[in-house]
Amino acid sequence: MKPQQTLRRTGDFLAERFPVDKLNFASMVGKKEVPVHRLSWGYYLGGLALFFFMVQVVTGLMLLFYYQPTVSDAHASVEYITEHVPAGALVRNIHAWASSLMIASVLGHLLSAFAMKAFARPRELTWVSGALLLGITFAFGFTGYLLPWHQIAVNATKIGLQTIEEIGAYLPGQMSLWPAAIKEIIQGEATVGQATLSRFFALHVIILPLGIVAVLGAHLLSVQLHGMSQGVDDKPRRMEKFFPAFLLKDLSVWGVAFMILFVLGLCLPFESLFAYPLFEPYNPKGSTPDGIKPEWYFFWIYYPLELLPFWVILAGQGLLGVVLLGTPWIFRNTNRRTLQVLAVAAGLYLLVMTVFGETIYHLFKG
Amino acid sequence: MRAFFIPFRWTRLALACALALGAASPLQAYPEFQQSVVKTSRRAVNCALCHSHPDGPEGAAPGQIGRLTAAEQAELVRARAAFEPNAKPNSPILNAFGNHIVQSLGKRRFLELRLAPEQLAAALPKDSDLDGDGIADAEEYRAGTHPLLRSDGAPWLLFRANLQRNLPQILVVLAATLLGFYGLRHLLRGFAATAPNEEEEDLAAP
Repeated sequence: MKPQQTLRRTGDFLAERFPVDKLNFASMVGKKEVPVHRLSWGYYLGGLALFFFMVQVVTGLMLLFYYQPTVSDAHASVEYITEHVPAGALVRNIHAWASSLMIASVLGHLLSAFAMKAFARPRELTWVSGALLLGITFAFGFTGYLLPWHQIAVNATKIGLQTIEEIGAYLPGQMSLWPAAIKEIIQGEATVGQATLSRFFALHVIILPLGIVAVLGAHLLSVQLHGMSQGVDDKPRRMEKFFPAFLLKDLSVWGVAFMILFVLGLCLPFESLFAYPLFEPYNPKGSTPDGIKPEWYFFWIYYPLELLPFWVILAGQGLLGVVLLGTPWIFRNTNRRTLQVLAVAAGLYLLVMTVFGETIYHLFKG
Repeated sequence: MRAFFIPFRWTRLALACALALGAASPLQAYPEFQQSVVKTSRRAVNCALCHSHPDGPEGAAPGQIGRLTAAEQAELVRARAAFEPNAKPNSPILNAFGNHIVQSLGKRRFLELRLAPEQLAAALPKDSDLDGDGIADAEEYRAGTHPLLRSDGAPWLLFRANLQRNLPQILVVLAATLLGFYGLRHLLRGFAATAPNEEEEDLAAP
């Protein structure tokens, strides 16, 4: 194919995905309609993820005023926020709860969009940007976990980074050195230390937020330009106006989510759900605490990693990445019923591994 | 009856040895209690439950015996001699909960409990709540959660206690949210009502 043809086809592809003629208030808001059917609840999950992201931005900015990203002061500054700053415990707890709820919403949004075949032409790039947002959200979780600099956080991060290095053993030739180099770039020094904390902090508060704003902007623009996908094979029961009917319902869901988040933030310390009550500052001479494990949203990969050979997990992860990014093309001709079955199966897997992962692990490992 | 008396004598003997060792030895830690809590709660509990340092009293880190000043060593000696309750010990190698145990029970009763560490929770005062999180220290000890951390406790008990304490604030925020939504709903409906008119005006314009 000639370069001119490639360029033209690329231009056509993008023009269909981002129809600039619809870039006006009437198309994106005034005339936009939302189908009403049995899976309509799925349309609210994306907005919910956006709400939790906004909460993260606001509470994160508040925490920034007091947090010190140094190995000597990080833990003390978090303790200071929790114990001495007015409403500091509330803000920090809301930040912790909203991070988990944001990841849960993004996962729910991904599965419901998959079940509704919301990735079908011309929404391929909406899906791909959504998959990227999922990756960025997980990266937020991973980088944020280290920042309090306690014994569990540092040791869990060490294990996570060590996993990257282990990939090298399965790669051929010079490529086998790449994972170790990547690990060193992330880590910044021989072991997890000040350089790592500085890099994770920079990633968590600057690089990832800039990345998510860019990708989220493209994602939301695409959603508004194309409108909501049909969602079901049958004809929708009715159509409702996006503005103000759907928007008001969306805002009602935000209101409920805010109240739940506020009550959780005020009444249930996120840390109380952990099996490690003693979050003392990281001690390089201390031993790795017993039963250390990552945040709940990594259980779906963590427990299989503990039970199965590393190469199986590696191959599975690679395959999952390809399938996730290639979904619009891989499942182009798959009907919605099959997609719904697959989405339910994936959802059940996530749920079972998150809730019963440890039990399953002990069942097999004794 | 015979079976009862033999262990009883052994108990006395063990207690006498423990007291003698306690007075003579510079290092003391009672892992029986930690092991008992770990067994009953199935949580990863370390020495920081009662001690100043998570690795216990032995060592030269802050909160350990090797780092004590002369004044702190004097406090330690005084705390070790607190055999009866209410002696107001202030041992520098113990945290507030550790000192609270010695204060409530006395060193003698505490050392007796080494032989039945699972009974320590029952022996502690029922109404004491050092961190003010709404869960009694004895209950926290039994559950393996930290009696000095407000953020640590059985989740449901913490939630219930905090909900009762913060109910007025929650009701105020709920009212503010409902009122805000009420106003926003009318604002958006107002915008929506004017939007078609603007469109019509655009169409009517030459």
